[in-house]
Amino acid sequence: MPDLSHFITAQLIVSAVICIVVVHVILIGVAYSIYLERKVSAYIQDRIGPNRVGFDFGLPALRFLRGMVGLGQPLADGLKFFLKEDYTPAHVDKVLFTLAPALIVIPALMGFIIIPWGGTWNVPEFTIPVLNVHVAGGPVQVAGAVVNVGVLYLLAVASLGVYGVTLGGWASNNKFSFLGGLRSTAQMLAYEIPLGLSLLAVLLVVGSLIPADLVGYQVRNGWLILSQPIAAILFFISILAEANRAPFDNAEAEQELVGGYHTEYSSMRFALFFMGEYAHMITSSAFFALVFLGGYHLPLVPWLSPESTTLLAVLAKCLVYFGKVGLLVCFMMVIRWTLPRMRFDQVMMMAWQAVIPLALIVVIVSSVVVYLNLGPRFNLPWGESIPLLVANAAITVGFLIMYPFLPNYEVNRRVPMYGSRFNPVPGERVSTRPMDATALADRPEAAVAGAR
Amino acid sequence: MAIRDEDVLPIPNRPMNRLEGTYLSESFKGIGTTLRHFFTSFGQGRTSRTFQYPEVRREQMPVERGGLHAPNFRGVHRLNRDEAGRVKCVACMMCPTICPAKCIHIDAAESPWDDREKYPKKFEIDELRCIFCGMCEEACPVDAIELTTEYDVVGLTRQEMIFDKEKLLSVFDATIGKKPM
Repeated sequence: MPDLSHFITAQLIVSAVICIVVVHVILIGVAYSIYLERKVSAYIQDRIGPNRVGFDFGLPALRFLRGMVGLGQPLADGLKFFLKEDYTPAHVDKVLFTLAPALIVIPALMGFIIIPWGGTWNVPEFTIPVLNVHVAGGPVQVAGAVVNVGVLYLLAVASLGVYGVTLGGWASNNKFSFLGGLRSTAQMLAYEIPLGLSLLAVLLVVGSLIPADLVGYQVRNGWLILSQPIAAILFFISILAEANRAPFDNAEAEQELVGGYHTEYSSMRFALFFMGEYAHMITSSAFFALVFLGGYHLPLVPWLSPESTTLLAVLAKCLVYFGKVGLLVCFMMVIRWTLPRMRFDQVMMMAWQAVIPLALIVVIVSSVVVYLNLGPRFNLPWGESIPLLVANAAITVGFLIMYPFLPNYEVNRRVPMYGSRFNPVPGERVSTRPMDATALADRPEAAVAGAR
Repeated sequence: MAIRDEDVLPIPNRPMNRLEGTYLSESFKGIGTTLRHFFTSFGQGRTSRTFQYPEVRREQMPVERGGLHAPNFRGVHRLNRDEAGRVKCVACMMCPTICPAKCIHIDAAESPWDDREKYPKKFEIDELRCIFCGMCEEACPVDAIELTTEYDVVGLTRQEMIFDKEKLLSVFDATIGKKPM
């Protein structure tokens, strides 16, 4: 029997446990965030929301599990999805059609690996009973994987979600689905840039891509949402757009595109698209909490700092992290039920004319602040935070002063279709006279003057 | 009539001021509104407009809060009986004539009683076709057909929802306490 003790380290065991636990927590969290969304939207619209389905399955013996403020609703929804007909329309691209729902869920679940849920845990020495392998203790990271490019990995994986949407739209062989997929692609390309740029503004300050270092910096110097508020807002807008959430859910705009990219899907495949959206929301929220809200850290609570490495502290940190993620998910839901969906050209205009230039300015200003190294030079508390805050305030004031002088393009809202009476083919004679008899009686002068 | 040019009133958008130009201030105002509704209606709070239907019915609510105004509510039909317990209808065919949905079917026959000439041998109302407009009630010269306040009428088949004379008379027996003639 080979000596396993070289391979089985405390970090490996902890990582495996974290991977298994977190995936299940996330999947249950996805199911219950759908319930949460329905409840939040109901209360916002002065309704009640799901409140009947408990866990009694209609059995009289389980009467006491009836009701439960509707907590059985996700389970009932899931069962319903499994029992519905899984229909594949003719003329779809079978391989891609089957692949697309998986491609939207897997990237959303992959991102959780590098999230440092609980900081460092000082594992005591122990021996695995059956294999009889002695595991040396020591400090381990409570995360699925400890990689030096953690943030880059998360950025890369989060942007993979677009493939599911695009392939779903393409494989459906349906104009509306295809339009949804196209919109999603363009939107993701546009918002990938401010996502990276606003993250860059933060990484310039922190100087590391390791997730644990991001948390450590924020423990020492205060949360980055306080010192980089503009970058935080731009980052939040971008992750809303990346997750295809309202007000950027143009890819599934019911009023325009029937159902968007998932028009042709039914049963559990549709449910996977649905789950993918919510898993994406949770991933993005965890990302935001890591970068801007200090991860597991809460100010003024000493045992939530990286120094406390007991098991109890680690569990408390995990709870705090999940709490932050939950609050962010709730905030996304409130935004969805507050802001109307933007028109697609407005979405693109906002990306290229507003968010990206602003993100560039923030990056330039923060790099100048980091280069000047003002915080340590003047012995300010909290490192670079105060100069960064001043710089952010300066950008805001500058924008407010400059606003009337910024170019404000007249947008032609009505583009006349070529060949229609508003944009006729050259040489063609078109009449815009009123044709209706009543209208002609009403405006006799239009009958004469209308031809142009 | 076509819309005249002088009737068109153009309302130009007010230009945004500096703060509104960022869109953020207005977004947060909107979030404030939704959060206010969230907290005031939380758990059937003050602004919640829902009531739990099978347990709480509209009859029990005041009219101002969305309750049912019984005097002019138009629910399922009934055929009234006279003092002797006979069907009051004289089969004058006013209601099937006025009915816009054509859901009333009457077969008239010679009355077995001395005080009227005809009576309905068959009287059927298709409750699925009926639009509950109340025209039959208004047209009836002897107040034989009336709409009651019952609205939760269900059936498993379409045939079940075609109410015949006996069924309509039984509706009368069931609702005479609630809505006297």
